[in-house]
Amino acid sequence: MIHASQPTTHSRTDERSALIRLSHVVKDYPTPSGPFRALEDVNLEIWPGEFVAVIGKSGAGKTTLVNMITGVDHVTSGEAIVAGASLHRMNETRLSQWRGRNIGVIYQSFHLLPGLSLLDNIMLPMDFCGLYRGRQSRDRAMALLRQVGLEDHARKRPSQISGGQQQRIAIARALANDPNIIMADEPTGRLDSVTAEAIFQIFAELAGQGRTIVMVTHDQALARRVSRTLRIVDGRVGSDAA
Amino acid sequence: MIRPRWHKIFSDLLSHKGRSLLIIASIATGLFAIGMITTSYVILAEDIRSGYRAVNPPNIQLFTTFFDRDYLNRIRKIDGVRQAEGVWNTNLQIRNTAGEWEPITVKASDYGRMGAKEMGQPHVLEGIWPPDEKQIALDINRLSDAGAKLGDTVEIKLPSGVIRRMPVVGIVRDQTIGSSRTEGGFFLAGIQGYTNIDTLRWLGQPEGYNTLYVRVETEDQENKPAIRAVADRLIDDFDKNGYPVNGFITHLSSEHPNLPYVDAMAAVIYLLGFLVVFLSGFLITNTFSALLNQQVEQIGVMKTVGGSRGQIVAMYMVLILVFSLIALAVAIPLSNKAAYMLLEYISVHINFQVIELRFVPASSILQTIVALLVPQLAGIIPILQGTRISVREALSGAASNQNETTGFMYRLLAKFRGFSRPILISLRNTFRRRGRLALTLITLMLGGATFIATFNVRNSISSYIDRLGRYFLADVNLTLDRPYRLERVAADVMQVQGVAMVEGWNGAFASVVTEDGKAGETVQVVAPPKDSKLIEPILLRGRWLMPDDRNAITLSELFLESYPEIDVGDTLRLKIGMDESDWEIVGLFQFAGRSSGLFAYVNYDDLARETGMQGKSTSFRIVASDTTLDLAGQKELASRVEAHLSSLNYKIKDVGTGLSLGDKTSQGLSVLTTFLLIMSLLMASVGSIGLAGTMSLNVMERTHEIGVMRAIGGSNRAIITIVLVEGIAIGLISWLLASLVALPISKQLADIMFQIIFDRSADVVFTLSGNFIWLGIVLVLSTLAGSAPAFNASRLTIREVLAYE
Repeated sequence: MIHASQPTTHSRTDERSALIRLSHVVKDYPTPSGPFRALEDVNLEIWPGEFVAVIGKSGAGKTTLVNMITGVDHVTSGEAIVAGASLHRMNETRLSQWRGRNIGVIYQSFHLLPGLSLLDNIMLPMDFCGLYRGRQSRDRAMALLRQVGLEDHARKRPSQISGGQQQRIAIARALANDPNIIMADEPTGRLDSVTAEAIFQIFAELAGQGRTIVMVTHDQALARRVSRTLRIVDGRVGSDAA
Repeated sequence: MIRPRWHKIFSDLLSHKGRSLLIIASIATGLFAIGMITTSYVILAEDIRSGYRAVNPPNIQLFTTFFDRDYLNRIRKIDGVRQAEGVWNTNLQIRNTAGEWEPITVKASDYGRMGAKEMGQPHVLEGIWPPDEKQIALDINRLSDAGAKLGDTVEIKLPSGVIRRMPVVGIVRDQTIGSSRTEGGFFLAGIQGYTNIDTLRWLGQPEGYNTLYVRVETEDQENKPAIRAVADRLIDDFDKNGYPVNGFITHLSSEHPNLPYVDAMAAVIYLLGFLVVFLSGFLITNTFSALLNQQVEQIGVMKTVGGSRGQIVAMYMVLILVFSLIALAVAIPLSNKAAYMLLEYISVHINFQVIELRFVPASSILQTIVALLVPQLAGIIPILQGTRISVREALSGAASNQNETTGFMYRLLAKFRGFSRPILISLRNTFRRRGRLALTLITLMLGGATFIATFNVRNSISSYIDRLGRYFLADVNLTLDRPYRLERVAADVMQVQGVAMVEGWNGAFASVVTEDGKAGETVQVVAPPKDSKLIEPILLRGRWLMPDDRNAITLSELFLESYPEIDVGDTLRLKIGMDESDWEIVGLFQFAGRSSGLFAYVNYDDLARETGMQGKSTSFRIVASDTTLDLAGQKELASRVEAHLSSLNYKIKDVGTGLSLGDKTSQGLSVLTTFLLIMSLLMASVGSIGLAGTMSLNVMERTHEIGVMRAIGGSNRAIITIVLVEGIAIGLISWLLASLVALPISKQLADIMFQIIFDRSADVVFTLSGNFIWLGIVLVLSTLAGSAPAFNASRLTIREVLAYE
């Protein structure tokens, strides 16, 4: 059971409005042969508490869509409003701080810092954003470790645990600042089916707690178990099936 | 509780120990050089002055023929004289361990009986001071020429041929050697001995003094005009009392005779100090840009989880600070130790006493300031660049290859034929990161160029000394104890087998008479015969002496420093003995600058007329019939001449060889070139750490690539070859650049040295020896720098390298 306490300085977004809104979003990448359009006029609204799967072939624009929502990349045109913030108007520094407080990001390749203990990896977002400090942040990190079932591994380094365990730590880290939104880019892509199922269960529990989850996946079976599926084809959101 | 971000800093420090050591070494090398340079400079600059002041150096040295104790006591009452001592200086001969006679200057005075600390008191290194009657103390500087040691009994030959045996009771360091400027300075000074005044009669010398040492009142000891005023009063008094003043010299109490050499070193130290700071900065920039390159993904992750650019920049700046503090802790004690070693070497060769090898706060403060500023300044650019990267770029892995080039060199190398594939890969790898390559090349190039320049400066100094040797072309220089008729000496010397020619020269000390009629500085007047073939001067202005000149004079370049308005065509009034005479300046020539005093050449007949020495001389120049005589051959000829003249009852004062002059000077000046060499090795070590760093970083960054090469069949040997050839390629490029950059650096360094020592700009005489030695060093360094990373890369399993983060 995933449970995260409410941070004192953090306010949840009004649940009656869309938590994520993309309007006419276009994303071009420069290439030697001219600009490549990764997203084409994407219009999208995701509501609080939704568990959304984003599916599509390789190169369809799934990760680009995630990057637009997390503010990891900027729109070429259009608007991206997430948790009340106009991302297209924010600079990198503000985006980093905003992201740290509002979105938990999980990647396929975990991206844990190899030199830090698992505990420190989880505490790092709290340290950067200042929402939890000192003993409070340590207690919260231990609670999150306990919740992903890795309490006994707190002092280990990422290289000392399995891929599935690393992904659990990445999830715990994503929850560190108690964000409303969890963005997961193919979180089960590197895991075997049993581990992938366990990870999916964690996401399901988080969704059950009312968190908004957007998960990119290739796994059609997993996609069928979420509340809503977005299919991307050649940079366009081709279907939006609830 | 330590925050996770600081845990990351310590983890970065400890998890890549090799990389951390490299960064610390880069910073520590710069700090080490700065500390060593500053500590040695501060102690050198302070101790050469205060150490000299501590030996009570005379402010005035006045040279005459003879005065007694009664007159000395009267001098002590002259206004402004705080202390006066009489010294008898005489040139005798000492038998060395090889049985040869070497010239020795023996100073005799009332050592130990003056009731006050004697002037220029030698520092006792071994044995006792003062020497008693019939005992001798020897100065350490040319002690090896005598081959004597404490407790030995040395043989001293008097002009009469009588040999005296004197026990060596003390080995001392006399810092005043060279201060009289009458013997070509410290580096040309021969063996120095000290004995009690009561020994003089036993040594066949008159019991009295021929040199007066005077210290002025304490408050005037650093006041040149006040010292000069006392000197004028002394000269007047000598004149009034009928004592001829052959010359005099004034010094401040802190003016060590070898101060110009220290100034030369200080100038070089400053130049190289700045260079080292720059090079160290380049190294740090290079290393940090590589470090940041390796941390791109982690930076992306930190930004993803909320880390702002400012926070991440601050983290890496703290990391630099930690590296810097560790480097500082290493550098301070090491640089102090190295500075002490350098000072001990210099103090022996420059003849000064280090008062205390002490901690120099200014040096450590400077090191701390540099440690806190330079690495941060050098690191800020790569850190700002590294943290500017977007999260998408950072996590996609595209950024780590961003700086790699596919420019002109890369395309050019693609056209190369005939190289094996690994060699081609190595050559292309060399140009993959142009920024890093440029900084590495600059570091190695400057280190190498300074190294090569050292050899050119050394060669230029040697060539110049050789050139100065053209003023002393004779094979043997003979000095007799009293004037002999020229024809008689010439006829007798010509009987010696191997002698082709003899010239009788004349010489005298004179004083320049200033416009107000006062005695100016002492001039050593040398008078070759009008048709002399034994001098080839370096003319600056005017012409050399002609046979039909009358009272014509040529002056050394040092006159221009003392009398800037002087020029060819002017008339110079000199006081020689008790008489004044006018001389027409016909030329100015280049001599040994500040290394010697004022020199002037006149025709023999003109000087002989002034000194009443017509047809006579004490100084003879002998030329061998064999024009290719080396030093040993010259010594053999000198021995034959001496033996022959002794058998004819000549009173011989000194027989010296022509080549020993240049030999002595070269040996003396070698301290400067050795010092330069030490400094250039310091630069070279900064350069080599730079190369080692670059190679390690390149291999570290390409670990994945190496894994792929091995996975597709690349052998260990091929991988080692790729890494080693890359290092050697960098080394060779840097060598080529260093050889070019060495040209202006050689000129700059040589000019600094020449200006200070010889008071002229340098004619740089280039030599390829420095280039070839540096080539050898660079090849060894390159191979060593590449070996460790190449070996490490070849040891990794394919699984390990492909999993490398």
